[in-house]
Amino acid sequence: MSDNKRTGMGSTFSESAIADMSEVTVVRRLWKYLRPYRGMFFLSLVLLPAISAVELLQPYLLQIAIDQYIVPRDLSGFHLIVLAFAGCVFSQGILQFTQVWVMQTAGQRALRDLRQAVFDHVQSLSVAFFQRQPLGRLMARLTTDIESLQEALASGMVTMIGDIFTLTAIVVILLWKDWRFALASFVVVPFLLALTAVFRHFMRKAFREVRTKVSRLYSHLQESIAGMQVIQLFVRETISGNEYREINAEYRDANFMAIRFDALLYAVVEAVGSVTVGVIIWYGSGAVVRDVVTLGVLVAFIEYMQKFFVPIRDLAQKYNFLQAAIVASERVFELLDETDRLPVVASPLTLDEGPLEIEFDNVCFSYLPDEPVLKNISLRIRPAEKIALVGHTGSGKSTIIQLLLRLRDPDSGVIRVNGIDVRELDPIAYRRHFAVVMQDCFLFQGTIRQNITLDDPEVSDEAVLEAARSVHVERLAARYSDGLEHLVGERGQHLSSGERQLVSFARAVAHQPDILVLDEATANIDSETEALIQDAVESMMSRQTSVVIAHRLSTIQNADRIIVLHRGEILEDGTHQQLLAAGGHYATLHRLQYREAG
Amino acid sequence: MAFSKRNRRIATYFVRYWPSFIVGAMFLLVTNYLGLLIPGHIGDAISSMQAKGVNTDSVLEACKDHALAIIVFAVGAGIARVVSRVQIFNAGRLIEFDVRNELYDRLTRLSPAWFSTMATGDLTSRVSNDVNFIRLLYAISFLHVVNTITAYFIALSKMLPLDWKLTVICLGPFPVILFAARFIIRALFNQTKIVQGELSNLSSQVQQNLSGIAIVRAYAMEKREKAEFALINESFVRANIKLITIRGAMQATMTLLAGIGTLAVLYVGAHRVVDQTLTLGQFVEFNGYVVALAFPTIGLGWVFSVWNRGVAAFDRVLDILDAPIDIPDPEDGRRLPNPEGPKGSVEFTEVSFGYSDDEPVLKDISLAIPAGSTVAIVGRTGSGKTTLARLISRLWDPTHGSIKIDGENLTALALREMRAEIGVVPQDPFLFSMSIENNVRFGLDSLENDTTIQRDAPQLSLGSGEPLTRREQVLQALKIAGLDDDLKTLANGIDTMVGERGVTLSGGQKQRVTIARALIMDPRILILDDALASVDTATENVILDHLDRIMQGRTCIIITHRFNALARVDQIFVLDEGRIVETGTHDQLLESGGVYSELFERQKLEAELEL
Repeated sequence: MSDNKRTGMGSTFSESAIADMSEVTVVRRLWKYLRPYRGMFFLSLVLLPAISAVELLQPYLLQIAIDQYIVPRDLSGFHLIVLAFAGCVFSQGILQFTQVWVMQTAGQRALRDLRQAVFDHVQSLSVAFFQRQPLGRLMARLTTDIESLQEALASGMVTMIGDIFTLTAIVVILLWKDWRFALASFVVVPFLLALTAVFRHFMRKAFREVRTKVSRLYSHLQESIAGMQVIQLFVRETISGNEYREINAEYRDANFMAIRFDALLYAVVEAVGSVTVGVIIWYGSGAVVRDVVTLGVLVAFIEYMQKFFVPIRDLAQKYNFLQAAIVASERVFELLDETDRLPVVASPLTLDEGPLEIEFDNVCFSYLPDEPVLKNISLRIRPAEKIALVGHTGSGKSTIIQLLLRLRDPDSGVIRVNGIDVRELDPIAYRRHFAVVMQDCFLFQGTIRQNITLDDPEVSDEAVLEAARSVHVERLAARYSDGLEHLVGERGQHLSSGERQLVSFARAVAHQPDILVLDEATANIDSETEALIQDAVESMMSRQTSVVIAHRLSTIQNADRIIVLHRGEILEDGTHQQLLAAGGHYATLHRLQYREAG
Repeated sequence: MAFSKRNRRIATYFVRYWPSFIVGAMFLLVTNYLGLLIPGHIGDAISSMQAKGVNTDSVLEACKDHALAIIVFAVGAGIARVVSRVQIFNAGRLIEFDVRNELYDRLTRLSPAWFSTMATGDLTSRVSNDVNFIRLLYAISFLHVVNTITAYFIALSKMLPLDWKLTVICLGPFPVILFAARFIIRALFNQTKIVQGELSNLSSQVQQNLSGIAIVRAYAMEKREKAEFALINESFVRANIKLITIRGAMQATMTLLAGIGTLAVLYVGAHRVVDQTLTLGQFVEFNGYVVALAFPTIGLGWVFSVWNRGVAAFDRVLDILDAPIDIPDPEDGRRLPNPEGPKGSVEFTEVSFGYSDDEPVLKDISLAIPAGSTVAIVGRTGSGKTTLARLISRLWDPTHGSIKIDGENLTALALREMRAEIGVVPQDPFLFSMSIENNVRFGLDSLENDTTIQRDAPQLSLGSGEPLTRREQVLQALKIAGLDDDLKTLANGIDTMVGERGVTLSGGQKQRVTIARALIMDPRILILDDALASVDTATENVILDHLDRIMQGRTCIIITHRFNALARVDQIFVLDEGRIVETGTHDQLLESGGVYSELFERQKLEAELEL
C-alpha cells in the first residue's frame, strides 16, 4: 500500500509549496486589481478609524458616568451621557455595516477582474502548456483558489487594519490617562507577542500541510470521477477507495494539528485578557486607595483591556485566512506569470483575401529534446489542393497539423503562408482560415446547433442547415423531437462517438474554411455512414485546400497528392496511382490493408 | 417540528461521535463557569475599594485575593477552552472524514447511468465545497449553540438574583429582535443557495472551456469564450454582493442587540446605584455579564448562517449518498464455473434496452456466442454495438430479457468477480495519471490485493511456461498489444508518467495501453470496442495475430468497421437499428448477399476503383 503513495492516482498532482513569492509582492500584485475600485477601498479604510473612535468612546463615557454621576449620586445631565452612549452603539453598527459592505463590494469586483484576467490569460497559453497541466489543477486556480481569496475577504481580513488602529489607540489612550498604570496593564503583552510569533510559525507550517493534502485529495477524487467506468470495469473500487481513504486520513491529521495550534492560541489570548484584568485590579487597588486613580478610570481600564485582546484573538483566525489567501494568490499569480505561449509579433501582418498557399521550408520539430518528431520537412500545399498524410502511428502526421495550425512553432525552419512567415501573423486571425475535425471530437454542453455554430455569429442559419444536410446530421437530428436544438450533454455524451463525429463534420462544413483539416476524422464512422459523408466532404474538398490524415487508405485515394511519412521524414510524395506504381512504402501499406479484399 | 429524514441523518453523525461532543460541551460549560466567576470578583474588588476610608490594608488585601482569584479562573478557563475547542473541532473533522469516505464508496457503486445525469462541475462542487459546509454545520454550530446556552444559563443565574428587573430590561429585546431576524435568515438561506448555484455554473463553464481547449483554439473561439465567461462571472459576483448585504444586515442586527444590553445597564443601573438598590460594584459586575454575553449573542447569528448553509449542503450530499444503486450486486452472488475446456460463452435471450424510455437502442436481441470463439459485431454508427458490449459487463442492465455467461444469469453473479473475468477495451481510451506500468496493472492490482474478489491473480505468459514477474508480465502484455516498439522511443519506458487522460501519448498508443490493461487480467471474455480504430493496419494485424494465440479457449468480441479484422473471426453479427439482421462467417455473409455484403462490396469497390 505504501507503494501507492508514490504511484497512485493523484500523485502527479501533489502540489508542494511553490516558489516563495514575498508577501509584499503578493499584496502589491493584488493591489493592481483593487486599484480601479480604490475610491470604495479608501472610503472603507477611512471608516475604520471612525469605527474605532465610536467603539473606544464607550469605556470613556462609562468612566465619566461612574466618576461624575454614579459615585457622586447626582444624575442631573446623566441622560446626555446615555444619549452619547446610544449614539456610539448605533453608529458603530451602521458604520460597521457600511464599511464591510463597501469593502466587500470593492473586493468582489476586484476578484471578478482577477478571475477574468486568469481566464483570459489561460486562453492565450500554448497547447503544450495544456498537455503538461492537469485539468484539475487549472480548474482549482480559477475556482477554489480565487474562492479562498474571497473567503479571506469575507472573514474581515481588511478590518485587521482597523484592529491595529484600535490597538494603537488603546495603548495611546491608556498611556495618556496614566502611564504607570498603563505600563502595569501591558505587562503581559510582550509575553503574548512572543508567544504569538512562535505559534504563527507552527500554524503556518500546519496550514501549508493542510493545503498540500487537500489538493492531493481533490485531484484523486476528480480523476476517480472522470475514470469511474474504468475503475468499475477493472474492479479497482476497493484499492482506489483505500488510496483515497489514506490521503483523506493524512488530510484529517494535518487538520488536527492545525486545530490544536488554533485552539491554543485562541485560549491563550483570551486567558491573557482576563489575567490582565487581575493585574489591573491588583495594581489599581493601590492607586485607587491612594486616590491617584478614580474608580471610573479603573473600570475604563478594565474595559479597554478587554477590548484590547478581542482583536488580538481574532487576529490569529484572520491570519489563518490571510495565509490561505496568500498561498492561493501565489498560485494564481504563478499561472498568470506562465509565459508558455506562442510569441505574437507586436504588429502582426494580415493576409490578403484569396486562396492560401502554404509552404513548409526545412521544418524540424521535437516534443522532447533529442527525440525529433519531424526532420527537415519541406512541403508545399497549393490552393485548392487535396493533400493526404499517410504513415504509421508516431510518424509525425498529427504534428504537421499542429504546426500548420500554428498551435506550436517549429524548432527550426519556416512555415510560410502566401510567402509570409506564419509567426508574423496574428495566430487567432490566422486560424480562422481553418476548420478542423479531430480524432477526439469534443462537443460542448449545449444543443447540436450550438455545437455546429460554436456561437459564431458569422455562421448563418443557412450554412448550418446546409452543413447538417451534407453530412447527414439532419438525419440524426430528425430522431429527436427537438431536432437541431437537441441537447448533447456534457462532452456530448448523449451521442455516440460516431454521431459526435458527424456533428464535428457539420461544424467544419458550416464554418466554410479556406483550408479543411481532417485528423483521422473518419476513424469512428462505419463504412456506410462514411460513404454518405464522403461525397459531402469531397465536394467541400474540391472547393478549398484540404489536408487529411487517415489510416484507412480508401478515404484518401482521391487526394491530389499523398505524402507518406516515416519517422518524421517524407518518404514518398505523389498521387495514389503514382505511389502504387512506384511500389514503395505506400504500395506495401495498401497491400496490407487490402490483402483479404484484393 | 417533524423530525425529517434529513435531520435524522444529521443526528446520526452527532451520535457517532457523541463522546467528543459531550466532553467538548462539558469543558465549554467549565470555561463559561470559570469565566463568569470573574465579573463577580471585579465587582467585589470595586465594592471594597469604594470602602477605602475604613481600613486601607484590609482593602488592599481583599483586592489582592480577588486579583489572584481572577488570574486563577482565567487560566483554568483557558485550559478548558483548549480542550473544548479541540474536542469539538476534531469531531467535525472526523465527521468530514467519514462523509468523504462514504461519498467515495458510494460513487464507486453508482452506475454510468447515474453519472450521466450529473454535470461534472456540479458533482465536484458537491464532494468538495458541500462537505466543508457540512463540517462547519457540526463543529461551528455545536460550539456556538452550546457556548451560547451555557453562557446565558450561567450569566442569568447570577444576574437574576442581583436584579431581576434590570435583567429583564437588558435582555428583553433579544427574543423580539431574534424573532424579527427570521426573515433575514430566510433571505440568507435562499441567497446562499443562489450563490452556490452560480458557483456551480462558473465551474462548469471553466471545465467546458478547458476540456475543449483544442476546439477553442482551432476555431479561434477565444473571444467568445471570454465574453461568455465574463457574463457568468458578473452574475456570480452580483449574487455574492447580494449575499454580503444580507449577511452584513444580520451582523449589524446582532451588534446592535449586544449594544442595547449595555445601554440598558448604563441607564437603568445608574439609577439603581443612585437609589442604593445596587452597589457600584454590582453595577460593574452586571455590566461584566452583559459584555460577556455579547460574543455568544453574535455567535448565534453565525449559527444561523452556518446551519442554513450546512443543511443545504447536506441535502446536496444526500442526493449522492442516497442515490439508488441501479446495478445491484446480488447478495451471495454466484461465481462463474471453471470448466476444463473453453470458457466465456455469452447468451442473449430476447434482450431489449434503451437509455431512455422512448428511444429503444436494442430490440429483442437473441444471440449465442460459443465459448472460446472470436466474434465480431458490425453495424452502422448508432446501431447499438457499443450498447450491446456495455450490457455484457453490466454497466447497464437490459430493460427486458436476460444475458448469460457460461450458463449463469448475469444478474445472479457476484458483480465484481464477474467483471474481473471480462476484459473491456472501451472506445474512449481513458488512462490515469500514473506510469504506463501502473496503468497496465490497474485491474491486476485489484486481483492481487483486493481480498473481496475471489479470483487468483492470473499468470500471463506467451508460449513458455516460465512464471514471469509482475513487471515482465506488464512488458509481455504491452508486447501483445503491439506497443513494444513505441516503448523504446519513450525515455522512461513503462515508467513513463501518463498525463491526465494520457495526453502525452498518441491516440493509438493510448488504445494499445488499454488493450494491455485488459489482457493482463487474463479475461475469459475480451471485448474490443472499436479499440483498434487509431491503429494502422500493420499494427492491427500484429495485435490480432497475438490475440489469436493468447485468447485460446477464451472468447473475444470485437466491435469494428474494418474488414481486415472481420475476415479472421469465427462469426459476425450484423446489427442494424438495434436488431440483429445477419449472422454468419465472413464468407457466408458475403454469399447470402445481405447488408454485410453490401458494406463489404462498397469498401472493396472503393479500393478497386483506383487500382
